[in-house]
Amino acid sequence: MSEKGEVDLTGAKQNTGVWLVKVPKYLSQQWAKATGRGEVGKLRICKKGNQGKPEVSFTLNEELTVIDGIEDKTVSAPREHPFTMQSVGGQTLAVFTETSSDKITLEGVVVQRAECRPAVSESYMRLKRLQIEESSKPARLSQRLEKAVTNNYKPVANHDYNREYERKKKEEGKRARADKQQVLDMLFSAFEKHQYYNIKDLVDITKQPVIYLKEILRDIGIYNVKGTHKNTWELRPEYRHYQGEEKTDE
Amino acid sequence: MTSLGSSSSTSTTEYIVRVPKNTSKKYNIMAFNAGDRVNCSTWTQARMERDMSARKIYGEEETPEGAAGSEFGKKQREEARRKKFGIVTREFKVEDQPWILKVNGKAGKRFKGIKKGGVTENASYYIFTQCPDGAFEAFPVHGWYNFTPQAKHRTLTAEEAEEEWGRRNKVVNHFSIMLQRRLREQERGEEDEDEGEKSGKKKKKGGGRGGDLRIHDLEDELEMSSDDSDSSMGDDGESKPKVKKDAGKGKAKRKKQKSKDNEALEDSDDGDYEGLEVDYMSDESSSEEEPEKGKPVKAEEHPKGIDEESESEEESEEEKQNDEEAKEEEEEEEGKKTPVQMEKKKKKDSSGESDSSDDSDIEGETASALFMAKKRTPPKRAGGRGSAGSSRTGSRPGTPSLDSASTSNTLRAAASKLEQGKRQGPSIDSPAAKKLKMEPSTQSPVPSGKSTPQPQSGKSTPSSSDVQLTEEAVRRYLIRKPMTTKDLLKKFQTKRTGLSSEQTVNVLAQILKRLNPERKNINDKMHFYLTE
Repeated sequence: MSEKGEVDLTGAKQNTGVWLVKVPKYLSQQWAKATGRGEVGKLRICKKGNQGKPEVSFTLNEELTVIDGIEDKTVSAPREHPFTMQSVGGQTLAVFTETSSDKITLEGVVVQRAECRPAVSESYMRLKRLQIEESSKPARLSQRLEKAVTNNYKPVANHDYNREYERKKKEEGKRARADKQQVLDMLFSAFEKHQYYNIKDLVDITKQPVIYLKEILRDIGIYNVKGTHKNTWELRPEYRHYQGEEKTDE
Repeated sequence: MTSLGSSSSTSTTEYIVRVPKNTSKKYNIMAFNAGDRVNCSTWTQARMERDMSARKIYGEEETPEGAAGSEFGKKQREEARRKKFGIVTREFKVEDQPWILKVNGKAGKRFKGIKKGGVTENASYYIFTQCPDGAFEAFPVHGWYNFTPQAKHRTLTAEEAEEEWGRRNKVVNHFSIMLQRRLREQERGEEDEDEGEKSGKKKKKGGGRGGDLRIHDLEDELEMSSDDSDSSMGDDGESKPKVKKDAGKGKAKRKKQKSKDNEALEDSDDGDYEGLEVDYMSDESSSEEEPEKGKPVKAEEHPKGIDEESESEEESEEEKQNDEEAKEEEEEEEGKKTPVQMEKKKKKDSSGESDSSDDSDIEGETASALFMAKKRTPPKRAGGRGSAGSSRTGSRPGTPSLDSASTSNTLRAAASKLEQGKRQGPSIDSPAAKKLKMEPSTQSPVPSGKSTPQPQSGKSTPSSSDVQLTEEAVRRYLIRKPMTTKDLLKKFQTKRTGLSSEQTVNVLAQILKRLNPERKNINDKMHFYLTE
């Protein structure tokens, strides 16, 4: 489609100027909690007459200073955040947006870069300290166990293994030979799903003793060394139609 | 927005900042390098898509799932196998794939935007845009992509680059590397025309040069030089395009030959030629004749280096005359390919006289002059006139065979022959030095200005430097006062123009052809001049 991939260049043509502002993590978290229209605070720009260097500062709204997850109420996000203005330098930074429908739009070009810094205050220091404490906790801990783990006795034959074994024996260890027809049906339906089967898998599926199964397989199928390590069984060509499997009885 | 206009000097305005909740649009940064000077407002149209080429790497081979061709439990088995070997395959995330940005259609620029990691980890970037109502809206930046322009010109592959790197000390002319590559492709069946034109136009210099200038490989040099001179000479007097084509073809041919020879020949070492017997060389030299347009001598230029410098003057005298003869012959054979062959065979005796004179011109310019032993002088003398065109080679130990092999550049051939005749054994003078020397001489237009300097190729794009070898520059010189080719060469020293001597010769030849200056014989030297 010619639509896909077309970039909407309106922003670039209008030379829309935007600011790129680096914001601390905690502040962006607070902003995410904004309610209503999303108003988060006020930006104050002070132009010093003709001197040029404007001072920009951001004030966080009162309600957003509360930080969740920290019980200590004295710790809150600072309100004042002066911006440090930086020039873009020679670099061209453009902003493009991607919608969920894969539409790409060039929104504009960055004309000013800034860093949002918190005004240093007591509460900010405490906040930082908490953050540091949290992040310095190691991800992995070594703990002391009260009781030694005692699963590893040396069995003559593994207990679990023994149980498995006995269970297997109980449950038709020698599987009963079912009716040949039934087995064939099972086989054909299995081969409908996949072309190649391992003998073990077939035994599992059909629950037949291996020898019996092999005999049946020898009739309707071929053993395939195929070049891959596993030797697999597949149906004979005359029996298979892979567009819509048809069962052919012998 | 409230404005508090306090004191007269400061004015403060307040804006409300909003962080919109609806996040249907994801904001990303497209960062360009400062040096690329990208101006988004000049784009008329742009297309951007994800680069999915990595999907093939990540996607496993597709085995048919279910029904024909599939195996029962294949997936699980594969997974178990991978786990056993500890193979960790990274998921193919479309989000992280690079962007391909095409600006202004097919002919415009192409950029590749690679995602920069770690941008959103510790700090968030927000885009502040000002709304019509004066408030600021802040959008979080989702990803940062660094866009770099993609080269449209051809580049060397990794293998080729490795190869060239290994030869960097030997190769003087780096411009021809790409040229050769193109010619190689040409041989493989690409359009000849394009190549010829391209090589002609862009790399006439290189063309004339014919491939890499090797310092040691005498045979290569000789062949190349012969080819070059042949083609260039042959082309004299024909239309430019044809010239270029020929140059291209000649080059191609030479390349082929060269490459063949490259395989067979080993790099010459200094001591290699020590044991060679004199007879061999003398035989060849005597047999060689003027007509060898080729400049087998070219190859031998290199080793000449210092010696050449010292002897250049003398040589040039002798060789000038030789050059004259050579030139005449060259002209006769213009346009024929056979001269090339002949030269190749008789490299030794190529009428390298012209070469020698050229050589002398260029000597000053060649860098690696160190190899030349003094021996040059005697042989030069002797060989100069005597052997029909045996050029310098003197210093070049036992490279008569090599000489004969190379053809092309008459100048070079003459010079080398002269040398060769004289010098016989005592190697040392590394062929390298000689070659280098030869190279420049071939470059230089026939000093004696005998007719049109053959070996010079058309003006190829000179590399940047203080002095550009342009038609304009040559014209200026010639208007001001009559100059010999030697003088002209001196003006465009290789060190300053950045061209190799061979290139310079070729370019100068072409320029002179174009300008068609008037000739005058001053002091028995052919001078060119222009009247405007």
